[in-house]
Amino acid sequence: MKLQFFLLLTLIVGISSLTSAREVPQVELGSYDPWDSKVVETFENLLMQESGRVKPIYSYSRFTLLQFSGKTSLRFGTKDGETHELHYSEWMLDVLFRGNVAKALPVFVVDNSAAIVQIGVSPKEKRDRYSYDEIVSGRAKLAELSAQYGEKQRKHTESEKDPQYELDPIEGMILTLGRNISAFEFLVGQFSFARKGQLLVNENILPQEMVALAATLDPVAIIDKMPEMSIQQLGRAIQQPDNGDEDARMFTSALRLFFFYANSARGINLFPPQENDNEIWLSASDAMLEGLESKEARPWAVEQLRELQNVIEASTQGTETFSAALAAFSDSQRAKADARGEGEHSALEVHLYRGKYFSYALYLFVFGFIILATSWFSPASKFGRVMVLIASLLALAGLLLDISGITLRSIIRDRPPITNLYDTVIFITATAVLLGLIIEYFTRIGVGALIAIVSGMLGMFLSIKYEAKEATDTITQLVAVLDTNFWLATHVTIINIGYAAGLVSAIIGMLYLAARFVLNLVGKEAKDFVKLLTRMNYGVVCFCLFFSLVGTVLGGIWANYSWGRFWGWDPKENGALMICIWTLVILHGRMAGWIRDLGIHMNGIILGIIVTFSWWGVNNLGVGLHSYGFTEGVWNSLYKSWGVMGIFLLMGIWLYIDDRAKKTAKKAERNSKETDPQVNSA
Amino acid sequence: MANKKTQEKETSLLKVLYKFFTSFKLATVVFVLMTIVTLFGTLAQVEMGLFAAKEKYFHSVWIIDEIGNFPVFLPGGGLLMAFLFINMSLGAVVKVKKRWKGAGTLISHIGMLMLFGGAFVTWGLGTDGYMALYPGMKSDRVESYRKWQLEVMPLNDDASADEVWILPADELSSIRPRSPRSYTTDDLPFEIIVSDYSPNAIPTPITAPMAAGSAAREIDGFKLLPQQKAKEAAANIPGCYVEFKPKSGDSDNISAILSAYSFRFDPGESPMPFVFELEGQKFGALIAKKSWHIPFEVQLDEFIFDRHPGISMARNYESRVTRLETDKGAKPLEIKMNEPMRYEGYTFFQESFGPAGSQPGDRMYSQFAVANNPADQWPLWALVVTSIGLGVHFVIMLLDYMARSRKKRIQAAS
Repeated sequence: MKLQFFLLLTLIVGISSLTSAREVPQVELGSYDPWDSKVVETFENLLMQESGRVKPIYSYSRFTLLQFSGKTSLRFGTKDGETHELHYSEWMLDVLFRGNVAKALPVFVVDNSAAIVQIGVSPKEKRDRYSYDEIVSGRAKLAELSAQYGEKQRKHTESEKDPQYELDPIEGMILTLGRNISAFEFLVGQFSFARKGQLLVNENILPQEMVALAATLDPVAIIDKMPEMSIQQLGRAIQQPDNGDEDARMFTSALRLFFFYANSARGINLFPPQENDNEIWLSASDAMLEGLESKEARPWAVEQLRELQNVIEASTQGTETFSAALAAFSDSQRAKADARGEGEHSALEVHLYRGKYFSYALYLFVFGFIILATSWFSPASKFGRVMVLIASLLALAGLLLDISGITLRSIIRDRPPITNLYDTVIFITATAVLLGLIIEYFTRIGVGALIAIVSGMLGMFLSIKYEAKEATDTITQLVAVLDTNFWLATHVTIINIGYAAGLVSAIIGMLYLAARFVLNLVGKEAKDFVKLLTRMNYGVVCFCLFFSLVGTVLGGIWANYSWGRFWGWDPKENGALMICIWTLVILHGRMAGWIRDLGIHMNGIILGIIVTFSWWGVNNLGVGLHSYGFTEGVWNSLYKSWGVMGIFLLMGIWLYIDDRAKKTAKKAERNSKETDPQVNSA
Repeated sequence: MANKKTQEKETSLLKVLYKFFTSFKLATVVFVLMTIVTLFGTLAQVEMGLFAAKEKYFHSVWIIDEIGNFPVFLPGGGLLMAFLFINMSLGAVVKVKKRWKGAGTLISHIGMLMLFGGAFVTWGLGTDGYMALYPGMKSDRVESYRKWQLEVMPLNDDASADEVWILPADELSSIRPRSPRSYTTDDLPFEIIVSDYSPNAIPTPITAPMAAGSAAREIDGFKLLPQQKAKEAAANIPGCYVEFKPKSGDSDNISAILSAYSFRFDPGESPMPFVFELEGQKFGALIAKKSWHIPFEVQLDEFIFDRHPGISMARNYESRVTRLETDKGAKPLEIKMNEPMRYEGYTFFQESFGPAGSQPGDRMYSQFAVANNPADQWPLWALVVTSIGLGVHFVIMLLDYMARSRKKRIQAAS
């Protein structure tokens, strides 16, 4: 009864902590005018080229907001008492088309207010989000410090991690904030060339006479009037000293302004190139400079810039005008991209992120856990069995969502499921959940469902945290050596199935130890149940061996094809080898009679530790040919997970000692019975 | 009588050894130690670099390491693999009862033995090196990544050489500080005395502060200053002192510092040997990469390098080459990542390119890894055998499980 009360209490605390609400930050805006849904829809389907691929601006917006804010949405209250929640594409619309509004929104996350104090800005909570307007008073100090810390970071890298150049956490935060603020300024000022002198950011960079010139000068119109000039020539021309000639001064000022606009308009590559054999899309900056460099390119450059200029101008002329201009730009861009065979999966990509497959999968796993937990009040009853069935179905639904997300990602990039570290998280989660459900199908006692749900919750949570932490596009291009669908589909997939099995073995091990520990505490035994757990774990270890071994040897064969050697003792190879070897320790130790029930589970947990080291740890050693997945701060998370598994191992040692003591006591009792004639006769 | 006892003793000793080498316990202990050694060897790569860690942990018989200040003795990777090979051969193949139920495990262990066999053959007989070519260049010469040799040659008037005397890499690298070694040959009119070889050293002007404090010998205003070995073994630049002592005794000895810096680092460059004159004949001396010839030439026709649009990440690099043989003519081919050229026992892999910092459109060279490995395809066959073995094992287990379940059901029904 006490146990059931404890379970109930845990459930209540868990649910209430999940549903607790946070205070909504107030911003210095009288009101907020939401974007029209049609405008948002058109905007998020616009195409751009970034990180080597053509993608919807929707994805770019998502990862930019994640990078600044650590979240994909934004909640705030305005002075009129309204509360607003912005999606990342709506936020990006504000950034690009209503810069003054975007500057008031609290998007820049600072984990420790000490960083804010250092730049001379009033801090809010210890961890809080700030708007650009709140930070701008410390902009100069921020620029100075972030330049200083950027240099320190560069030296740290160049000196192969000399500790004297290591940034402390506050310095790291200032550097990140400085970079995010610069990136934000670039975005807000991106379309300044089309705003007739309304600069929004960096106004103080321009001399007063140029600000006045900016109000009248149309940089697109002057492209045709300028002599052909390369970027280098332009750079030299704007540095010409003033010789007193008014025309020359005007010309230099115009060139300087043109250079300023071109420099501001870098980064968002919206224009497919003219030439079919050119793969590189152009930004407004590129179009301006191409037009300046060659008279031949001018008609094309001016046409592109005019199309964009129309959109910027329309953004101030009411929803309908803006919507129509944006749609016209989108149609034109889409037609050009279609003709080049690019961006064909952009709608699918929008669907992938809009569908929130992995978030919904996490909700299902959490819900499944709650349902499963209710079955523990009366596990043997019909109610308990029904709850287990519902929880299993919820886990299955979560699995299907995870698999759907993986499938969509594969289709979008035309690759097998795993091409980077993020992919491994969602794939390993799916495999572990599937393994749990298979176990549940054969055993029907709720343990498999628990394995599936715990794996699903941990994996989906990890995928969401990882995405937020990295804040970069997770659909990435491949380095040349990975450009092979055959090996990605075989070696990479198979080895990750092995990882998943190793982790499931650890989960079963921890379940076994927790169950034994609780049973010991309440003075009960459930021999059949714990025996079943052992059989499960043994099967999972065999499964792990098969996939790890085949995956590792396939990796060797791939290495032999691409690098000319089967085995090079590279850290990633060694990690995979250690997984294979440890499964062999379990199997051979069992045959030797050294490892029994408890041993299998404890070794399963060690297997889990090895898997996490191989999966995450070796990437962060910074050596070897496989180090393409460095993740900041991963060691801390690894130490924590190893700490948890270590606690279970200590429980295992305690159980081992306790078992030995009980066995000795039993033996002594048996001996005394055999030697005591009175007891024997009795 | 005494003979019989000795025989019994021998038999029992053999039995004990056989039991020991075929036991599951030995296998378990070896696996545990292998995990520890692999972990140590992996972590050590951060400080030592791959090559040194490989030699210390995986190609060794014993390892002496430290955890904190406590010395730790471990068997090396080489010894462990030898034990495992014996254990697997005797225990899992010879000793194991040959029955249908164990067929899968037997086959899979044979597969693993094939893998081990392949590793031993590669270790003993395989060679690896590289060939770097600019477009238009051709070569049949493969160079070692890490091994350097001393070359001394009489020079023709055009600075070319017809014959080269070579001090092999293993001999050169075994020369220790303050232990000069002398070499003579009938083909050269002088004795060659080599001393103070250092696997990584910089010839430094004596005016530099570093050189001023060093006790190293000075020659022509320079001292050879040994450096710490680089983490990447291929980045080491060896050097040594050399003295050329005329056999006739008519002239003074000629001393020089030889450094691998004089060798070329770009396939377009030419090595710059130390040149000296003795008895009217010019000679050159050089520390050069160990190299060997292959039975055909490879000519690089075109090197293609492209990046993902708008970013610096390499998307593809491939080489269009022509394989040239005097008797078989020319054959055009492509070598790209994951698609090597295999021919006459040699395999050419697209390895890298240079010079460092090249951009698309620059004149670039292509570098091929060239391996000659008699066991090249063994891992593939080992994998096939092992997979079949494990597959058979799982099928047998499944059938066994189904049969037992059916039996149980029948028993329950009756």
